[in-house]
Amino acid sequence: MATITAALSVNSDITEYGLGISKSMTMNKAGSTNGIELTTGLAKRTFTANTQVDLLTAGSGVAADVTASTAAKVYIKNVNTSSSDYFTIGFGNVSGSATAQASNGDATAFQLGRLYGGDWMLIPWLAVGTTGDISIMPSNATAADPMHVEYMVFFE
Amino acid sequence: MATTTAALTISSSDLVGDALSLTTTNTLNKAGTTIGLDQTTGMTKAYLTSTDTIDLFPALVEGSIAFEGKSSWVYICNKSEDEGEYALVTIGGINIGRLYAGDFLWMPWDMIESANADNHHGDIEIAPSVATGMWFEWTCINEGTEWHAADLAIS
Repeated sequence: MATITAALSVNSDITEYGLGISKSMTMNKAGSTNGIELTTGLAKRTFTANTQVDLLTAGSGVAADVTASTAAKVYIKNVNTSSSDYFTIGFGNVSGSATAQASNGDATAFQLGRLYGGDWMLIPWLAVGTTGDISIMPSNATAADPMHVEYMVFFE
Repeated sequence: MATTTAALTISSSDLVGDALSLTTTNTLNKAGTTIGLDQTTGMTKAYLTSTDTIDLFPALVEGSIAFEGKSSWVYICNKSEDEGEYALVTIGGINIGRLYAGDFLWMPWDMIESANADNHHGDIEIAPSVATGMWFEWTCINEGTEWHAADLAIS
């Protein structure tokens, strides 16, 4: 059994009284106090075109072991530095084209949010069916000036 | 202009052969700028006693989502201490994942509108796994929240 700890710290002067979050979690197996033992390791992927694709495909590759009854966490970071270029992250079926599928209207794809340069996210992952795919689409990637993303999955 | 920083450290001494230590920090800015986010819903602490799915923030109203595509960051924490209790987090009718006891998430949110009028708005929703009471905390730091007009009927 491994012990994986994720510690989040948010500090802000956004209100007169400030806003702070300091939270640590241990990544455990579903419904258990036993730690998650598997990981993809930190992966890095380069994009040279603005095409919407699966970053992680449910039931495929390393995600084959991720099911509705197991626990998984996904970390994704835009490692570029541009404040205007971003990756759009979504769930479900994607077009596989340069036309972003923000919402296909039948609850099989939905856009979550954008990661600008330096932004990162950490979410649980219920990798079930095609709606469990995690999609990604760069906003301004070219062969001459590619965009890069780093990601890592922790799972049972 | 406010300055909000979010830092994450993921560490493990026994997951892989060598110690894992990943640390990253970012500053939360308005979309496409270097101007800091300046609004927040504040931190909510709630005790939910139903397994019904609920919206965490004011429901997005189709046709008038003022902050679609703007920068919003969401924190949700399941404060339960019972490892068997979880919350299912969804957006637009699609499952994101389960937050088990003590788990949190940190993610961007685009507040997008559904492609049709099927009520699958881009609301962030959670459904507790038990009705015996579970504690949660959540907040959104953003460029603005779509506060509803008084007595607005939402279908």
